[in-house]
Amino acid sequence: MAPVLVLTMGTPSALAAQHDLVADLDLYELPQTELKQARGLLVGPHVDQVFLSQYETKLDRFVHGGGRLVVCAQVALPFATGLTRFIPLTYRSVCDLTVHRLAAHPVWRGVAPEDLTFRRGVAGFYGRGFYPDPPRCAQVVHGLGPRRLPLDLVYPLGDGEVLLHGGNDLWGYADDDTTAARMTPQLLAWVLSEPPEKA
Amino acid sequence: MLHGGASYHVNTLTDPTVLEHDITSLYLPGLVDNSTRSQLADLEALLICDRLHPGLLREHAGALLGVADRGGTIVVLGEVEAHTWLSDVDFSPRPTNFWWWLTGESPGIRRHNADHSIWHYVGPEDVVWHYHGILLPARDVTPLVSTDDGGLVLYEDRSSTAGRLLVSTMDPVHHHGSNFMPAATRFLYGLLRWLAADPE
Repeated sequence: MAPVLVLTMGTPSALAAQHDLVADLDLYELPQTELKQARGLLVGPHVDQVFLSQYETKLDRFVHGGGRLVVCAQVALPFATGLTRFIPLTYRSVCDLTVHRLAAHPVWRGVAPEDLTFRRGVAGFYGRGFYPDPPRCAQVVHGLGPRRLPLDLVYPLGDGEVLLHGGNDLWGYADDDTTAARMTPQLLAWVLSEPPEKA
Repeated sequence: MLHGGASYHVNTLTDPTVLEHDITSLYLPGLVDNSTRSQLADLEALLICDRLHPGLLREHAGALLGVADRGGTIVVLGEVEAHTWLSDVDFSPRPTNFWWWLTGESPGIRRHNADHSIWHYVGPEDVVWHYHGILLPARDVTPLVSTDDGGLVLYEDRSSTAGRLLVSTMDPVHHHGSNFMPAATRFLYGLLRWLAADPE
């Protein structure tokens, strides 16, 4: 089994096609799949959350055992400890959609916040809402708009970690001609790295 | 409305404007249950949301198309590999141009059959946005939106079933339920009003 699994919905992912360490796993095969060998599980915006929310215990166990769960989606039905419902933002200006870096994190090393705020000069692709109630131990990496509403956060869970982005998959920026393209290799490197030592 | 449990499906099915219509929510993986599948028998119209699992749609296509075989209307939206479970239609993917409105390019979209009832509910500008591919039906259909290269983005088929199929490659539920793109919201709301009015 590849160390990184991306949950798919009947269509192969470009990520698995381009990286030997990544394999697709059809969501509906998750119940029969042993996750012990996997280091990371990637969940994108198209995944069936009605189904996934029935497997919260399995996903929690995976992360507690040292796995890294990456969720790039507007969560409507939480499916792991610490996830909450995404709140869409009523936005009026670029100011509301500006991405602010609040903490350094290896996934976003060298990624300019402007390249997240704007794609081809248009704001709003990266995030249009927020997670209002992050776990107490969460590191909020990016905040949106003047109130710095939590958009990207990372939190420990057992021996593993959860990375939550309130938008489309971070690996969808792989072919951008800006620093945003760095997120894909850095995300995979982070997923495959050793979890941090516990304090 | 047949949905697949993605956040944008869930958000759309809790949108008060959508719920103004008499909507039955059907969950695609739930069709394995006889009680859920039997709800299809009572439907006059079925909107198959965009971005559903193509493998599950192929598995349940016979039961779903039964709505049209009994004389009802089915709307099939985009990114569902419809050409693999509808008869007599091919699909050709197209690079998605999200940026036509920014670069001043023409999106190459043309509206047809301006007297068709759908245009009483959907504005001409509501269908002018990006699309993910084109449909090439082999049978005689009514084109509603085409591209410059001769494919269809929206058409009506009244010949392959006793009822009618309205097929599109656009994905308005995804964009509406992701808090994005007002034109997609207007297209979706218009489709629902058209279905509710059930015009000939």
